[in-house]
Amino acid sequence: MLILITGGSGSGKSEYAENTAKALAEKEGLPLYYIATMKPFGEEGHRRVERHHRLREGKGFETVECYVDLKNQELPGRGVALLECVSNLTANEMFEPEGSGEDTENAVFAGVQALIRRSVHLVVVTNDVFSDGITYDEVTRLYQERLGRINRRLASLADQVTEVICGIPLQLKEKGSMV
Amino acid sequence: MILVVGGAFQGKKEYAKKMFSLTDADFVDGVVCGSEELYQAKAVTHFHEYVRRCLKDGKDVSGLAKELMRRSPKLIILANELGSGVVPVDAFDRNWREATGRICCDLAAGADQVHRVICGIGTVIKGG
Repeated sequence: MLILITGGSGSGKSEYAENTAKALAEKEGLPLYYIATMKPFGEEGHRRVERHHRLREGKGFETVECYVDLKNQELPGRGVALLECVSNLTANEMFEPEGSGEDTENAVFAGVQALIRRSVHLVVVTNDVFSDGITYDEVTRLYQERLGRINRRLASLADQVTEVICGIPLQLKEKGSMV
Repeated sequence: MILVVGGAFQGKKEYAKKMFSLTDADFVDGVVCGSEELYQAKAVTHFHEYVRRCLKDGKDVSGLAKELMRRSPKLIILANELGSGVVPVDAFDRNWREATGRICCDLAAGADQVHRVICGIGTVIKGG
């Protein structure tokens, strides 16, 4: 099963995603993997990564770090994987020297497809970066466009799509629905 | 406690006035109100701006949600959703956006009802 979770910054989507992945793993007795995509830059970056570490503590995740080339990322086993998050991964592929640049959209999508094959269940966190009404520079707009396209492709593939607002999950697409 | 969230200019205040039978006089404004005014009020609009002013004054806002729930358990809070855009370049804005989001998560967890307003239309997302 593929579950896509979206929401804005500070919406509580990470915690919801972790709890969802953990519940699936416990229910089916599966190992739990966390695929971290954020390279911690500077003090603020380290603080963010630490905060996420704290949130995950005691939930039983084994962490796998993957900044680019998700397609070739092996997992220690087959279980429930939580990928956090597609917005970082897209930025890494676009802007890091070892990233795939112009081929970002396909690289990220193929990466998620590979993870689906290597997992029993996959929970993917993405980000809503589309609703502030500001017209950004060309590169940022291209990033928004690519992430938007990736989100749409993932949502179309997903069994469940959930938007989290103030920590409250809203189901946009549920298993069996015709979206 | 009741939390009403939504983007800017979505009609949150009009919705809240109708929904909870409030008048303009029942609201304090997060852009200008002091903390005691906030704790005494029936309803607050622009709560995200109150958070912004606290941060500008160097205050720690991590306990704000708890304090509000303790001192004003009947307060109706209107706040903008701020998190659904590109990560701001300015560090203060980044911090404000995230802090407001976290406070709204905490408020929502303790609130009796949470409403989300888009295009003037409210959806009860908790406690309906």
